[in-house]
Amino acid sequence: MQPERGDMEGEPPSMLWGLDPIFSAFARLYIKDILKMNESCQVPGIYFYRSHPISKVDVLGTVVYKREREDFFCYGVDDGTGVINSLCWKDEQWREHGEPVKASKSTVTNTGGFNPAEQLKKLLQAQHNSSHLEIGDVLRVRGPGKTSREQREIRASTYYKVTDPVLAVQIAWMLEVPQLYRKFYDKPFQWSSGMHDLNATSAPVTLLEQACSLLKDFLREKAVERFRPYDLREQLVPLVSSIPSASTSTHQEAVTNQSTSKQLHALFRETLQLLEDEGLVFRKVISQDQVFQVTENDKELHRVTRDIIREDSRREKYAEKGCHVLHILSSVRQSYSQNVSKMAMDVVLRSLECNSEIISTTDSHYTVL
Amino acid sequence: MLPAPGVFYFPWEISSGAVQEGTTVRTFGKLKCYQPADSQAVLSSQHASTQHQVKVHTAFVEPFNPILGAQYIVLGDLESTERDGLMVCARVLNCVDGVDLTLLQSAINEQRKYFHDREGEVNTQ
Repeated sequence: MQPERGDMEGEPPSMLWGLDPIFSAFARLYIKDILKMNESCQVPGIYFYRSHPISKVDVLGTVVYKREREDFFCYGVDDGTGVINSLCWKDEQWREHGEPVKASKSTVTNTGGFNPAEQLKKLLQAQHNSSHLEIGDVLRVRGPGKTSREQREIRASTYYKVTDPVLAVQIAWMLEVPQLYRKFYDKPFQWSSGMHDLNATSAPVTLLEQACSLLKDFLREKAVERFRPYDLREQLVPLVSSIPSASTSTHQEAVTNQSTSKQLHALFRETLQLLEDEGLVFRKVISQDQVFQVTENDKELHRVTRDIIREDSRREKYAEKGCHVLHILSSVRQSYSQNVSKMAMDVVLRSLECNSEIISTTDSHYTVL
Repeated sequence: MLPAPGVFYFPWEISSGAVQEGTTVRTFGKLKCYQPADSQAVLSSQHASTQHQVKVHTAFVEPFNPILGAQYIVLGDLESTERDGLMVCARVLNCVDGVDLTLLQSAINEQRKYFHDREGEVNTQ
């Protein structure tokens, strides 16, 4: 609640509104609060609940007032905290078919077959039923708030009658809304931190992330197919040497006293582990001599995978849906390398799909045309 | 003009006279009896081992299908007459038989608690 005028002047600049997720959401506010919200002095039609800019609201309540006009209904909705008018447009489509719908009951013919015209009538009837409410019905309405003739109202973008014979929907709503208020609406949005995030999206924050993106970039630019760890370790040297001795991250505090080479080694190992977990690199053969394959650039693996999918998609068993990821994975493991991880498999499949060499038929099935 | 909002009150708050006349209320109870001739119904509910009754004037919601013993929700203005005493002049009377009353009560309390906390917060500021 911010009834003072003084707060209005303190409203955040409209440039920043989009940073607040509530701005683009349908806010489930109490009607009492919707009625009290201050309109923005920068952009009419936008309101402020505390410091949150509100563009549209979502309301559930009992219809306690009804007025019908040629083009729209005006329903007074009561959620137990306030009553607000909501302007609900009638559906153009329905009006054109208005007469046949009413007559549908008399023309029902029991032929037993599927009759599209009949079904359409039923559909329209159902639509009619859920958009025509009487006093006492429960209405859910979403849409932007407006102020017309000094009265706050909701211009419904969606509205429908809620069938709630045992109040389950209303009770769930009543339990949920206070939580939303406590967790989101009543918490002030940190504009400054939002801006910080915005600036930070392009620059990784932690050392590990920096190291990770550094290695990824290097592997991509140089199109590295395989590497041994000591070949790449040098890449991270600038990162480690640039760390100030009084580093902030806890991980670093522990190792500040160790030599730079140890830091470098630890960082490199973690980075490599991360890349391996993401499936970006894998070891074809586990042996003393560590050789890492770069999944993205492993042409042989791509070829093997494609061939497996092409061959197996011809089989009757997989003809309809294509091959399942796990089936592809186990075939690849048999014919290529035991150590291909599921994540690495996903990377290969994604890259093949991007090149339109394979097609996904479901979330986890692939085929070749 | 829009009517005042029907705020949830427990039947025992209404029957004890804690709610002012003229308030718009929303409450619940089992339909105990209905006299169409007088347009009068009685909703009863149990709380802390006593029965509480709320009289309802039903002229505005008739005709309706009275199911004795079923749970109803009523929304209306609290009015007092010399002859009948305090009664809810119903604008909405819905049968909600099968409603989870415990859950409904906790939802009402949850909402009240939220507003209570919020107002407390504003006052301390």
